[in-house]
Amino acid sequence: MIESAIYGLTIGAILYFVSIGLSITFGTMRIINFAHGMVYALGVYFFITFLPRVGGNFVISALLAIAAAIPVGYAIERFVIRRLYGESLDYAIIATYALLLIGTDAIKWIWGTVPQQVTEPIGISFRFFGGGFPLYRVVISLSALVLFLGLNLFFRKTVIGRIVIAALDDSEGVQCLGLDVNKYFSIVFVLGSCLAVLGGILYAPISAADPYMGHDILLIAFAVVIVGGMGNLTGTFISALALGLVIAITGRYWSEAADTMVFAVMAIVLIYKSYKA
Amino acid sequence: MADLLTTQRLTKNFEGLVAVNQVNFRIQEGQVTGLIGPNGSGKTTLFNLLSGLFTPTEGTVSFLGTDVTRVPPHKRVQMGMARTFQLVSVFDSLTVWENLVLSNIRFKTEQQSLRNFFFASSRRKDIADDCMSSLELVGLESRASSVTSELSYGDKRMLEIAIALSLRPSVLLLDEPLAGLSDHEIGEVVSLIYKVKKNFALGIIEHKISKIVELVDRLCVMNYGRIICEGVPGQVLCDPQVRECYWGKEDNKC
Repeated sequence: MIESAIYGLTIGAILYFVSIGLSITFGTMRIINFAHGMVYALGVYFFITFLPRVGGNFVISALLAIAAAIPVGYAIERFVIRRLYGESLDYAIIATYALLLIGTDAIKWIWGTVPQQVTEPIGISFRFFGGGFPLYRVVISLSALVLFLGLNLFFRKTVIGRIVIAALDDSEGVQCLGLDVNKYFSIVFVLGSCLAVLGGILYAPISAADPYMGHDILLIAFAVVIVGGMGNLTGTFISALALGLVIAITGRYWSEAADTMVFAVMAIVLIYKSYKA
Repeated sequence: MADLLTTQRLTKNFEGLVAVNQVNFRIQEGQVTGLIGPNGSGKTTLFNLLSGLFTPTEGTVSFLGTDVTRVPPHKRVQMGMARTFQLVSVFDSLTVWENLVLSNIRFKTEQQSLRNFFFASSRRKDIADDCMSSLELVGLESRASSVTSELSYGDKRMLEIAIALSLRPSVLLLDEPLAGLSDHEIGEVVSLIYKVKKNFALGIIEHKISKIVELVDRLCVMNYGRIICEGVPGQVLCDPQVRECYWGKEDNKC
């Protein structure tokens, strides 16, 4: 059971890395961004490409992959997402889903369709209550906590952070303060893309990289955002960890239903929210 | 008197519904211009076109002699046009103080330094002084550290006006500033407007005509997207067309 809990927190941590960008994008720009899954997968493939070229150094390769994903994230925001502000959600879904498909095909074309394994960077396990726990998973879980605290600091203490929080309340109101809201959205969008890439890289040694990895995680990440509340930063953190635990614990007893259970929880939350409203 | 803000044949068409139709509107230096009209007559749409939140289907908007028809809202604010909203628009997740910090920070200069861009804060004395004088103006000093969502609707309205004033506008557009307020709060907002109106030209949409009739120098009436009458308030309110659209056919006495 403790083993499942640690696995759940690991999955939850990865979901948090991926969901936070989606949550802010939806909260501020009212755009459902499927291209997030494309950036997530592409970042992992960048990482795999850099890894042997930097002597297998996990950290340097991760930093390079994140740096390489920045222009991709920026280009998506600048040339696709920004044109969709204020438009119907359908356009955003079609445009960003097209990007996801294009990205997936590009990955298949460049790197092939065979899943690629990544070696775990910390090959240490420790024993606890009779179970074996890889230290790497504990590190991932803790890194999500560090990210949560760091983002809280960022959103509370920096001017950009306060502007984004204000834009989550009312983005037209922010424009009426004389602030170019698009510029702040760009910064936050790229930040969200970088975090998704980091999440993908951290998850790669556990799951392996395949061209459809962005599709798989994206739907669950959307469930995290819906359960946590769109644009709710703390809600996203709690919901990511909770749904990670749901996946792990359901998987332990009924592995076929692990992902389905996430959407069952989402449905219950949606019903509860509409009932409360 | 110089025109600060003018429109020429301004039109906004929402998929067949003409919300604003060939409107020539102006706000002049040193004047308070009132805009009245029945619900759905296009007043707020006109303000959204003036402030740049909507792009017109046809026509132009000029501000301080410059064509700003395609200029985004934030640039219009930087040029000196501020506005408030019909449904009060403040940032509920921030404190009252932070609301004012965001409006007081002079971003045009802040952005020159990356460090300031990220970390400029209310600790800077010039920003803090500006925020405090804004709070004193609207009597919210004691609520500075409150989260804005905890304020009463009337206090939120005062904060919204304080935010708009701290942008130091040359034209201020107030969209129904008295809506949803108690008589006491209406008195406070009206006296605040009297106190500050000499600093800028004012455009004001309001349904409570009796509360603003003393305040305005020029009154425009909109109906079905068009300006049907404009002039000094006394004359406009006696215009048969205006009386019909406001009070019905029977009331033609003035």
